[in-house]
This record gives sequence, structure tokens and C-alpha cells, in this order.
Amino acid sequence: MNKEYILIAFTENQIGVLNRITTCYLRRKINIESLKVSESSIKGISMFVISSYTSLETITKITKHVSNFVEVLEVSYYDSNDLITQEIALYKVASDMFSGSERVDTILNQFGARMVELTPKYIVIEKTGTREEIEATRDKLDQSGNLIEFTRSGSVVLHRKSIDKILNNLIQNK
Amino acid sequence: MANTKKVKGAEALLLSLIAEGADIIFGYPGGQVIPVYDSLYDYSTRIRHILTRHEQGAVHAAQGFARATGKVGVCLATSGPGATNFITGIADAMLDSTPIVCITGQVPAAMLGSDAFQEADMVSMTTPITKWNFQVTSASEIPGAIAKAFYIARSGRPGPVVIDITKNAQIEEAEFSYEPCTYLRSYLPTPIIDHSAIDSAIDMINSAAKPLLIIGQGIKLSNAEQELILFAERGNLPIASTLMGISAVPNNHPLFIGNLGMHGNVAANRMTQDSDLIIAIGMRFSDRITGDVKSYAPNAKIIHIDIDLAELGKNLRVDLPIKADAKEAIQLLTEGIKHVERADWFTFASDMDAEEKREVTDNCGDPKGEYISMAQVVQQLAIAEESNAIIVTDVGQNQMFSALYSRFNHTRSFITSGGLGTMGYGLPAAIGAKVGVPEREVVAIMGDGGFQMNIQELGTIMQENLGLKMIVLNNSFLGMVRQWQELFFDARYSFTNLANPDFVAIAKAYNINAAQVSSPAELNKALEELVNAEGSYLLEIRVMAQENIFPMVPAGASLSKLIYK
Ligand SMILES: Cc1ncc(C[n+]2csc(CCOP(=O)(O)OP(=O)(O)O)c2C)c(N)n1
Repeated sequence: MNKEYILIAFTENQIGVLNRITTCYLRRKINIESLKVSESSIKGISMFVISSYTSLETITKITKHVSNFVEVLEVSYYDSNDLITQEIALYKVASDMFSGSERVDTILNQFGARMVELTPKYIVIEKTGTREEIEATRDKLDQSGNLIEFTRSGSVVLHRKSIDKILNNLIQNK
Repeated sequence: MANTKKVKGAEALLLSLIAEGADIIFGYPGGQVIPVYDSLYDYSTRIRHILTRHEQGAVHAAQGFARATGKVGVCLATSGPGATNFITGIADAMLDSTPIVCITGQVPAAMLGSDAFQEADMVSMTTPITKWNFQVTSASEIPGAIAKAFYIARSGRPGPVVIDITKNAQIEEAEFSYEPCTYLRSYLPTPIIDHSAIDSAIDMINSAAKPLLIIGQGIKLSNAEQELILFAERGNLPIASTLMGISAVPNNHPLFIGNLGMHGNVAANRMTQDSDLIIAIGMRFSDRITGDVKSYAPNAKIIHIDIDLAELGKNLRVDLPIKADAKEAIQLLTEGIKHVERADWFTFASDMDAEEKREVTDNCGDPKGEYISMAQVVQQLAIAEESNAIIVTDVGQNQMFSALYSRFNHTRSFITSGGLGTMGYGLPAAIGAKVGVPEREVVAIMGDGGFQMNIQELGTIMQENLGLKMIVLNNSFLGMVRQWQELFFDARYSFTNLANPDFVAIAKAYNINAAQVSSPAELNKALEELVNAEGSYLLEIRVMAQENIFPMVPAGASLSKLIYK
């Protein structure tokens, strides 16, 4: 049965690693839904967060495959319940939306968002939330006919257990 | 610490190779590696460069060298087309765990990404088919990159590494000092064995009534041949081999029961299906070995020992996976193993051998005796070479007959493209093997199709005066495909017949002694001449046009569905 799995890998911050990891998905014809690479809490070590819809069997194989790569320090897969997952989204909306009787603050509060830019033509608002929350806001704005542009960060995740400890152990052991 | 001195990048590359003990390179020059070739000119007494006739020849030669010697093979090519000509060999080395370091030239760093003349993005292209790859853009990076390349290529599960060196890095000067790489914090090539798993394995083996030891190339790669035999003897365990494992155990060892898989022996496949415990070491349960996985070894528990975690459970269910180096695991297992008689199990093995002889071997070849059969050639060659030669095969029927009927006394004596099944592998791989172990007899056995895929390497054999023996099994067909067409496509021989040139004349044009034989009565004498020839020698053997290789497990079928004719 296919469902969302999130692969988290810690690797040396070296050129080519991203390419190598994505080939594991590509060769099995699995679409990557979101991908985020950034420096982890330890300098020089990158953290990859890759989400895809696939089967348990396939994600297990991909994880083992990725663990073989020379630059990979640690890799595991999770399902969405294991992780605290948040995304940041930016919505550009027509300023008309705020021309009615309601106050801007009230509208922003409804969405759990804040304003980051205000111009006569448009307003950019920012929201942090789960993927579902981000999507719900997007749908609402879209239906109101005011959404001009939309962009999102991809998942920013934190494991419920402390990953820093895993990482430190890992560097000492390897 | 070595002293430092200032040298050009090209020279730093050669000094690094020498420091790794790699004093043989197979290569082909071009614009973006001329600086390296210029340095090679000065280093000709310390590095032997063998000029092949095609970069594919160079990479397969490096593979053959690695497979015969156990050392890392090295090949060198220019950027663009030179580099892309390596691709087939790199993919082949990846699937067959062959340690090679492929060095390619690249356009100057300042021109990367500009579609410069002969620019090809070698790092991107080889990412999925290398164990590691790296682009060097400055001279100072060269020693470190080469040290890492060799360490990664040969440690753990070996594999190919590509080092792409931009031209400016070859020309610039930098301080040179060499330090071998022995550790990378993100890479743990030697697994830590789980001793409790070893204990469970010992219990399972000691209580098995019908155990079968299945070995692959991992035995050779971990130099565990002797340990394996000691283990099998102590436990009284029959041994079967994958295609890649052939020659790790001498054929005449009483516990060796033959080869597994699509064209394996009857005993090995039937015993797999009947076994109650499979102990698989250094092999990867490829589809050519298992047939239909769902019906594979239905009565057996499976212990799988491999150095590569990704192989454990990849292709089939495993009851006890053990991530370990083969040698270390075998030594630990041997300590606890008990001798168990299992007379019935061995009787089953000899019954199955008798069945194979009766149903297959005795009937193979030309019933009228007019034409030579491939089976006969390989059998008689084994006798003529007294099982001491290195046999390098191409791909197709020639390969499967060679696997089934060759006989070996020594390890690392069967060299073949197993995973990728690369036609054209045989001739250049044999060149590499002969260069690596010149004291041994090396015979390339090829089909008329595959021989012509890298036939240009006859030029390399001529120039290097190699003393390589070559057999071309000429059936005027792409035999293996024709067999599948006969068995599964109503004998519709679509584009599988070959009009061939005069192979003897071609060999002679390259100043290589050659002969042709077509009569069974003259085969022995012809093979004797090949064996006794002083220098290189090519024997074209006109064989039956439509011989089939059996036993056979049709692709995707259960091992129980072996066919004999
Ligand atoms: C590069 C490559 N192309 C195509 C194939 C598919 N193929 C496998 S065996 C075979 C026929 C080989 O014919 P030949 O070399 O004459 O050997 P024979 O089977 O007759 O011994 C072919 C075409 C392959 N394995 N490799």
C-alpha cells in the first residue's frame, strides 16, 4: 500500500550527494513530492528531507541503498506521525480582499497568518503550519478569487526524539 | 609523511597512482588528457601504459585485470566521447562489484557548462553507475582524490570510481605529497558482525538435514576461498556456485555440486528446491539465480551473509540476514559447526548428476557427429589446459557453455560479465587478465557476434605481444538470442543470423597466428595447437549452427521447471 514516507538523511556537505540520492527515486520511477536540503545543527553536515508516496518495501530498499553511499552518515525513513512537520507558505493576494469592512488583522487571525509586504496592488501574507493547514488556506484564498501567487517551503521537520544526540553518537562512532 | 615538492597536476596523478601500486594503465589519449600523456612519456619506466583501440576496450581490460589479480584496475580516457565510451564498462563493473578507477579528462574548469568542445557531464552521467565519483578542478586536489578513489574502489563491496580531471588541473603546479586514505567518517566498509546472529546460524546449520551452501563472487572478493572449504568440510555441506562464484572452489572438490541458476547444473537447482536450509554467502540472489522468487527454495530457511546491507532482503525473504565480510563470517561459523553425515542428501546430489548426464550431457552436440558442438569444445579445452587456465568469456551461449563445462583448479580463473551481460567484454577483459597475470594461460572464449563487438582489440594484442589465446565459436548466429527465438518465438529467426568475415585472415592481418577447424575429428589437435602456441593464437571453431544450451530454467519460471531439451 502506498503512503507518504519521509526519508531523512544526514550527509557530508559535498557536491554530488543530492544527485546521487535522487537517482534512487528516479530509477524506481518514484516522484519526489518535496525535498529540502540544508545544513543540520552540526556544521558541515547536511540534512535531507525527502517526501514521497511509495510502499513500505520500496522505502526500505531506498533507505538501505542510500545508506550505502560514501558520504551518507545516517539515514532513516519515517511516516508522518513520527515527525513534527511544518511548512512555511507565502500567499500573494489582491489587496481588494482587504477593502471590505473587516479589519486586516481579523482576516489574518482567521488564517493564522501574518503580513510580510503591503502594496497598493497586493499583499503578501505568510503562514506556518502543517501541509494540510497550508493547503486549506490556499483553497480558501483561491475560492475567494484573490490568490495571485503561492509558494511553499517543503517540509521542515524535527524528530520527536532528539536527533542531535543520534548525530553526535554517529560522528563519534563512524 | 612524504616530502613535498612542486609538480604539475598530471605528474601528481602519476605519482599518486605509483603510490597506490597501480603501475599499469589501460588508456586512450585525446585533447583533454594530453598533459597526462605528456607526463606518461617521462614515466614510461615506472608506469606501463597499454594503448587499447577503443576506450571500451580500456575499461573492460581494467576490469579483467582487477578480476584476475584482485588489485584495482585503472583506465584513462579523454573527455567527451572518450569518457562516454567508458560508460558500458563502468555499469558492468558496478553490477559485478569490480574495483576500477576510471580517470577521464575534462574541459578546463573555466569552461565547464559552456558546451565546450568535447565537454560531457561525466559526473552526472556516471552517478547511478559508480560507487563514488568526483570532479577535480585544481591540481592540489589530485593526490587526495586518487587516495580516496582507491580506498573506496577496493574496500567494502568493491566497485567503480570515476575521477574527472579538468585540463587546467593537469597543467597547474601544486605541492605534492601523498597520504593513502584509510578512513572516512561517513563510510564504514567493514561491518561489525552480530555475534548472536552467527550463533543462530550455527544452530540452524547443525540441525539442518538438507543444507546447501551457495557461494558467489564475495568469496573471491574477500579472499575467503580456503576458509570456505574448511567450513564446508567441517560441516559436511554441499557447495553450489553462482556464475560469478565459479572457480572459487575447485570443480573436483567432493563437496562441490555445481552451478546454480538459469543454465546451472541439475543437482544445484534441484537441491535448492529440496533444501531445508540455504546458507548464501557473498551473492545477491539475482533473477538469473532464483528464477521465480515466489517458488524459490520453498522448503528452506535462508541465511544470507553479505557485506552489502542493501542486498539483504532485496530480492527475496531472508530468515537470517547477516551483514558481514564473507571471510570473517565464515571463520566464526566454522568454530561452531559440527560434522553431520547427511548420506541421503549426498546421494540425491549424485542421482541428480546422473540425471543430468543421462538427460543432457550425453545427448548434447550433433547427433550425426558431423559438426563440432560448443559443449565439446569447452570440455576438451578444460582437459587440454588441465583445468589450469583462466577462462574469459563473452556473453551468450559461449558464456553458458564455458560456465557449465570448464573445470578449474584455481580461484579467480573464470572471468565473465555476469550482471550486465555485456557482449564485447570477453576480448578486452582477457587482455587485462593476461597483462595482470602474464605467467598464467589465459583463454578468451567468444561467440562470433561478441568477438566482433570489440574485435579492434586484436591491435592491442599485436602491439603488446601478449600471448593471449582466443577461441571464436562461430555458429553464424547470435546464438543465445536464436535459442530464445527457437524455444519461445516459434523459431522466427528475426535478425539473428550473421554473415561473417574470414576471422583467420583478420587475425593474420594483425600478425596473430590463427587457424580454423570444423571437423570433430580434428578438434583435439586444433586445441592442442592452441594450448602449445608460443605467442597469441586465435582458433576459429566452426560449430553447429543451431545448438542449444541446456539445462535451462526459462526466464521468470520456477527453478523446479528445469528443461532438459
Ligand atoms: C552489448 C549487448 N548487446 C546485445 C546483447 C543481447 N545478446 C545476448 S546474447 C546475444 C547473442 C550472442 O551471440 P554470439 O556472440 O554469436 O554468441 P553465442 O550466443 O552464439 O555463443 C545477444 C545479442 C547483449 N547481451 N549485449
